[in-house]
Amino acid sequence: MTVAGMLAGMVGASRNLQLAEPAKFGLGERVLLAALMLGSAGLFAWRGAPIALAIWGSKKDEDLRLRPLGRRLWRFFWEVLCQAKVIRQRRLPGLAHALVYWGFLAFALVTMNDLAEGFGCDFLGHAGAFGTFYEAFAGVWALLVALAIAGLFARRFLVRPKWLGEVSPESGVIALLIFALMATYLAMLVVKQHSPAAAYLWWAHTLVLLTFLPIIPGTKHLHLLLSPLTVFLKRPEFSQLPKLEGDEDFGLVAGKDLTRIIALQAYSCVECGRCTEHCPAAATGKVLNPKEVVLGVKTFLNVHGPGSDAPLLQDGPEGGQRALSMQAAFACTTCGSCEYQCPVGVQHLPVLIGLRRGAVNTGAWEDRYGTKLFLNLEKQGNSLGMGAAERDKFIARQGFPLFDGSQEYCLWLGCMGSYDPKGREIAADFARVMQALGTSFGVLKKESCTGDPARRLGNDLLFGELAEQGLKNFAAAGVKKIVTICPHCVRTIAGDWREYGVAPEIEHHSEFMARHAPLLESLMTGEQGGSIVYHDPCYLGRYREVYDPPREVVAMAGELVEAERHRERSFCCGAGGGLAFLGEEAGERVSHGRVRELINTGAKTIGTACPFCNSMFRDALGQVGGAAPPQLLDIAQLVARRLPVLAMVSGEPRS
Amino acid sequence: MKIVVAVKQVPEREAALRVTPDGRGIDESDVEWTMNEPDAYALEEALQLKQRAADAGLGEAEVVVLCAGPERVQSTLREALAKGADRALHVVTPESGEGSLAERGSLDVARLLAEAVKGEQPELVLTGLQSDDLGAGQTGVVMAELLGVPHATLVLQVEFAGQGGGGRRIKVRRELEDGWTQFVEMPLPALLTIQSGGNRLRYATLMGIKRARQKEMRELSAAAPAQRVDEVVRVSPPLRVKQTEMLTGAAEEIAAKLVERLRFEVKVL
Repeated sequence: MTVAGMLAGMVGASRNLQLAEPAKFGLGERVLLAALMLGSAGLFAWRGAPIALAIWGSKKDEDLRLRPLGRRLWRFFWEVLCQAKVIRQRRLPGLAHALVYWGFLAFALVTMNDLAEGFGCDFLGHAGAFGTFYEAFAGVWALLVALAIAGLFARRFLVRPKWLGEVSPESGVIALLIFALMATYLAMLVVKQHSPAAAYLWWAHTLVLLTFLPIIPGTKHLHLLLSPLTVFLKRPEFSQLPKLEGDEDFGLVAGKDLTRIIALQAYSCVECGRCTEHCPAAATGKVLNPKEVVLGVKTFLNVHGPGSDAPLLQDGPEGGQRALSMQAAFACTTCGSCEYQCPVGVQHLPVLIGLRRGAVNTGAWEDRYGTKLFLNLEKQGNSLGMGAAERDKFIARQGFPLFDGSQEYCLWLGCMGSYDPKGREIAADFARVMQALGTSFGVLKKESCTGDPARRLGNDLLFGELAEQGLKNFAAAGVKKIVTICPHCVRTIAGDWREYGVAPEIEHHSEFMARHAPLLESLMTGEQGGSIVYHDPCYLGRYREVYDPPREVVAMAGELVEAERHRERSFCCGAGGGLAFLGEEAGERVSHGRVRELINTGAKTIGTACPFCNSMFRDALGQVGGAAPPQLLDIAQLVARRLPVLAMVSGEPRS
Repeated sequence: MKIVVAVKQVPEREAALRVTPDGRGIDESDVEWTMNEPDAYALEEALQLKQRAADAGLGEAEVVVLCAGPERVQSTLREALAKGADRALHVVTPESGEGSLAERGSLDVARLLAEAVKGEQPELVLTGLQSDDLGAGQTGVVMAELLGVPHATLVLQVEFAGQGGGGRRIKVRRELEDGWTQFVEMPLPALLTIQSGGNRLRYATLMGIKRARQKEMRELSAAAPAQRVDEVVRVSPPLRVKQTEMLTGAAEEIAAKLVERLRFEVKVL
């Protein structure tokens, strides 16, 4: 139905339908109504006050700024008013929810007028043209809301999708109340003016409304009031970690470290389970359940109140809150699906990484592999624990020119590009692409890790040292523009380093190659390479919203095929969040599930854009790839194999 | 109970070392420094002993970390404090010239350290079995002689072994060759030189670094003059002796040649 058609229909309907009003109330009825309204509001306040206090009493977010206001307003418009996220990620139930929401907005005016009428005041102008139209307009919405809520009720109690968890009787009650509100309203449109039926319906409608109000606090229906604020106030960046303030801030250690934003988000949770549905850890049998983590924070605040000294993480059998355990926090790959999916503005990553920060910064986290990784980063300056001489040899062997300030780009190799055999191949192939384009570049004589795994695992000391060192190295070398094969390096340098200073401009090689696509295509020789399924790396997709450039690159090399989950719904390879360096996973390996999905597309080649994804899939293909696994290549390799071979021109002779 | 851990600051493993123009030392101007690895294990053992003492109801143990050198060594002492040592002693030597570390041999340094240890009267002194830079392996055992206490070398682990002979005793596990280890029981006070790899080192934490700022770092002057008994004649980078030879031919021929070389030249078969 078009909007114009709808409006025309409503105007037509408004001629025939008029909201039946009860006869004017006497003093007794008015006193009763006032008492009921006061009672309802009082009960609402009594149930809501502890929650308001828990949020307001939590720690102030020192880094909270309203800027960028434009982006916040847009997000409010798009995610709240348009319900875009709700609809997009779950089409049918999302639309039903949107109808209920829009219906509520349409109803606000009618409801206020309804209550005012009880006291003999009709500000909407009941008999006037606008009043008549608006009440009929609300009637259309009442019908839509009634249908939508009935559908949602059926979904919840008959279809029972597992992500909703235990079906709560309270949501059934709420659905019935909403349905009753709409039904009574619709009935009022057909009964006679000032009839006893009109009075009964009015009282029924009003009583349902006054019952509805106090139920809201203390249930997930609080999202109705909080989530618009939560969406508006959430941190502007994806996976944005607050700066640690002062000498006693080590991340989320105890209740008193929970901030107002975290508390607000926890109380906004609507328990829809999108976060858990898309979580690679939850999907492969790990302890982590992002929804339970958020609800764990809420329960913690309900039990301990704000500002408590009680520790947040409770491991072991006696810990009543398994949701907030160290085991759960360290099972997160930081893929960000949860945060991306959440329709009410909950940001899971600052909580999960915050809990890790609390555990690592205080030394509470003891893990053989984690400690080894940290010591490797401390002593060797790279996550693979290799000697810098190995990198020197690789650079010399490849004949990479050293960056001396005269070249346009600094080619950042990263740990994988410097030390991992496959990562080196990718770096070398991308260097060939740059060379074919005639772009001048050089590599730094010495690189140390950007600190990505330390950052995601919550080691602020180590991350800070590496970030400062990295900024110093770029400044000393006079680097203006960086390009790299690793999305983790891009995100860390462009995003996380900002806490320590301004880094040179950096881009991912997919963006670089897409920008040079016409020239690259003119240089290409030979046949296209058949079907290629492209896997979106989390740190390029959800973290930076770079979806199209790598696809353009893939399309140059062959026929682009999409996996079932792609773009913003792409499923993690299992490497992120430092997990590539930790021990064996519990349950199924994340990489195995993903690689099966990629194989099932039937593509001849799997195209990756991150050396960590590539490394995970390399292992997974060996395990579950079968007799004839697809080829595994980085997008730089896809391009390079169609370019004529050139000898690398070294910037300076090297021994 | 008090445990003193004597540590040394050495150049980073990746540091590019240059010989000074006089050919008798290392140019330290752009060298980055770190804690000697066996000393890091000695510190780790001390911190774990402290924990074990507390768990066993033997009271609160204090770990004091000790280092001799110019101002730069304070970064290594801070690192030790951050990892959990309770306080630090810095025996200050001049940056260069007379009395500097370059002018002192193992005996000299051991004298400086022993002097500082005497002021503390600890029950246990731990130090790495040797240094990553010079590798003489002398300082620990010479210190034990100067302090007049028994010592054990190449120690991997230390346990408390109850009372006996008028004081507390310990049992230590020493590394011997070929995978063998030896247990030795000894009285306290004692000095142990610790082998790398007996424990897992811990990582430095933000909280540790912040707490370390409040911990005591006492400076002591290097009273004993340098009395070097040996002399550095010349410093040079190690000569490359590795040779690579490619064996060619069919796989069987290569295997035969390889076995011959391994048997008669390398003598490992």
